[in-house]
Amino acid sequence: MTLFHFGNCFSLAYFPYFITYKCSGLSEYNAFWRCVQAGATYLFVQLCKMLFLATFFPTWEGGAGVYDFVGEFMKATVDLADLLGLHLVMSRNAGKGEYKIMVAAMGWATAELIMSRCIPLWVGARGIEFDWKYIQMSFDSNISLVHYIAMAAVVWMFTRYDLPKSFRLPVTILLGLCVYKGFLMELFVHVFLLGSWTALLVKAVLTGAISLCSLFLFVTLVHSN
Amino acid sequence: MFEEASEVLENMLKWSFPLSLVLFLVLVCPLRAEAAHEFSVYRMQQYDLQGQTYGSRNAILNTEARTVDAEVLSRRCVMVRLADFSYEKYQKALRQSAGAVVIILPQNMSTMPQDIVQQFMELEPELLATETIVPVYFALEDEELLSIYTQTQISSSSQGSSSAAEVLLHTATANGFQMVTSGAQSKAVSDWAITSLEGRLTGAGGEDLPTIVLVAHYDSFGVAPWLSYGADSNGSGVAVLLELARLFSRLYSYKRTHAGYNLLFFLSGGGKFNYQGTKRWLEDNLDHTDSSLLQDNVAFVLCLDTLGNSDNLHLHVSKPPKEGSPQHALLRELETVAAHQHPDLKFSMVHKKINLADDTLAWEHERFGIRRLPAFTLSHLESHRSPARHSIMDMRPHVDLTKLSRNTKVIAEALARVIYNLTEKGVGGDLQIFTEQMQVQEDQLASLVDWLTAQPRAAQLLDKDSSIVNTLEYYLSRYLKDVKRHLVRADKRDPEFVFYDQLKQTMNAYRVKPAIFDLLLAVCIASYLGVLYLAVQNFGLLYGFLRRVTAPRVKQH
Repeated sequence: MTLFHFGNCFSLAYFPYFITYKCSGLSEYNAFWRCVQAGATYLFVQLCKMLFLATFFPTWEGGAGVYDFVGEFMKATVDLADLLGLHLVMSRNAGKGEYKIMVAAMGWATAELIMSRCIPLWVGARGIEFDWKYIQMSFDSNISLVHYIAMAAVVWMFTRYDLPKSFRLPVTILLGLCVYKGFLMELFVHVFLLGSWTALLVKAVLTGAISLCSLFLFVTLVHSN
Repeated sequence: MFEEASEVLENMLKWSFPLSLVLFLVLVCPLRAEAAHEFSVYRMQQYDLQGQTYGSRNAILNTEARTVDAEVLSRRCVMVRLADFSYEKYQKALRQSAGAVVIILPQNMSTMPQDIVQQFMELEPELLATETIVPVYFALEDEELLSIYTQTQISSSSQGSSSAAEVLLHTATANGFQMVTSGAQSKAVSDWAITSLEGRLTGAGGEDLPTIVLVAHYDSFGVAPWLSYGADSNGSGVAVLLELARLFSRLYSYKRTHAGYNLLFFLSGGGKFNYQGTKRWLEDNLDHTDSSLLQDNVAFVLCLDTLGNSDNLHLHVSKPPKEGSPQHALLRELETVAAHQHPDLKFSMVHKKINLADDTLAWEHERFGIRRLPAFTLSHLESHRSPARHSIMDMRPHVDLTKLSRNTKVIAEALARVIYNLTEKGVGGDLQIFTEQMQVQEDQLASLVDWLTAQPRAAQLLDKDSSIVNTLEYYLSRYLKDVKRHLVRADKRDPEFVFYDQLKQTMNAYRVKPAIFDLLLAVCIASYLGVLYLAVQNFGLLYGFLRRVTAPRVKQH
């Protein structure tokens, strides 16, 4: 019943997005087209990043087991473009802060889901061979959703003109953590030799921490005025 | 949401037709999953000989794996290790209409105890005799295959014993394996040509010289063609024949030692399939040509079959040689040489009448005997039914080089004594001709046997372009004159032999989970989604909580 397995993974990956869309009230604002635009911006930003990486970063010539810390760090720095993209999306949408954040995050995360998870699931989960990695991939997409919402919120807060001075530092730190989260995860996996389920757990905990902090800051910012 | 979604999609589809085309292609393309393990498997023999079918009839396989102690074996692939293999278990699997049988052989056969090897050797003809539609494969064991086997064994053997809840949990989470072969169904190979090679050394002294024919069949036989290396049977015979060709061509190259006998060397193909090569060669030479060495004066035909081991040497005859005939001379010389030069060798003559009612002929000399040519076979085996003649276990360690070279020397000395008529001339039995520069080279024999056993030499695998046939032809043409090929193709309407293909396949073992597992997973995912839905619905609670936490700080200002 391998198509069934594909159905399992698909629903695990996609339904949270559907639930979030429905329950966050976005459907009342006719935000579907705006989400699609956010998704298109995601595609454009990824293309630019790939071109930049391909042009300026040489391929790593070292041995198989050695992890190129510096190289990967530099590559992760290019992910700053994600922040710019999110900012671009949010600035084009008029409306309340929450609306902007949710629209940008939903569109971004959905585009990432379709682009990077759809085909592996279709090709892999449908096959005869069973592997836990497809379930893990679907869980990972759930975590990405929360991550992108938190990232969009932090970017929005960073660009506010009325951000109190005391918030500058925590917001910047959170911003940095968001961008380098991928790099940190790979670091953990290499140094501590984590198994795939443990890595997923660590990723979930990390994302949860980042999102809680950003939510805390957001609430404080919005309701202090 | 669906209305706006459809509107948006309509707009998108208008200019994104290429995208949808790509999507369609992705959806339709065939699935090529990665397997847990991919390994080569070798199928059991499948052939028809004189209308009688032998072996496994089927090649395709797409079934779940089980080991032989599982309860339910029908439509499953039964995996057995050589150490656990027995004929009863095989019969049991067939009776329960198993989907396939895979026998796992160790990489290094010498690690197996002798009694198991012996038992398997005796089982091979029985396995082939029972014609079966179940595909039977042999695989060489490696680490991953062994782990697959142990996992399958654990899951197979626990099926009948534990409580219902345990069984349910176990079936829901266990790792099963699906075995799939990639090839097509086996079909008969049309127009297969069996090649035989002949070469000669012409004697000195004009016309009408007597001819001595030396014959050895170069193919091998076993329960799986790709695993039949045939070291002793008949790699040793071929090595002896080639070494004799070298020695006598050396003797014949000097005028003083150029004897008055023609020597005809024949490497026959299809020997294990009732000596097809020899049969057709004889027909062509005796019936279809006007003049041939075989028609005139044949002194005798000596067939070499399995000479690589043991301290016995038997001369198998279908009619005891008459006194005064050249055959009797050879018999006498062999006895003399054995007695005087190699006292450890026990030489004897074995008399067995040709039984035309049997399915297959016993020894190669019987083919010549049917055509009234005086012939015998020299072998260290006492009976033609010995399992060593048709076994995949017959590999390089079965050949003892010192004994092989000793046997070569005995044959060479005896032949030399016959062709130079040494006993008549009063030369004693102690005189050794093949010494010093003319000695039997053990290194040569070693490299020949090593080369012959480096690849399988089943008749189904050697067509006329194969490297073995070409190399043998090249080797013969270095020492002999008039090296010719002789092809045998089966008759179209009433074929004597039919070979089938798909003898070597790649088998994939896929890790699969049982169907209940998917249902279980679906239930878990549904509950997770339910919890998520509740969490998102009540997100406001978390928001309000955080507001209350931050509010007192604000109020203080």
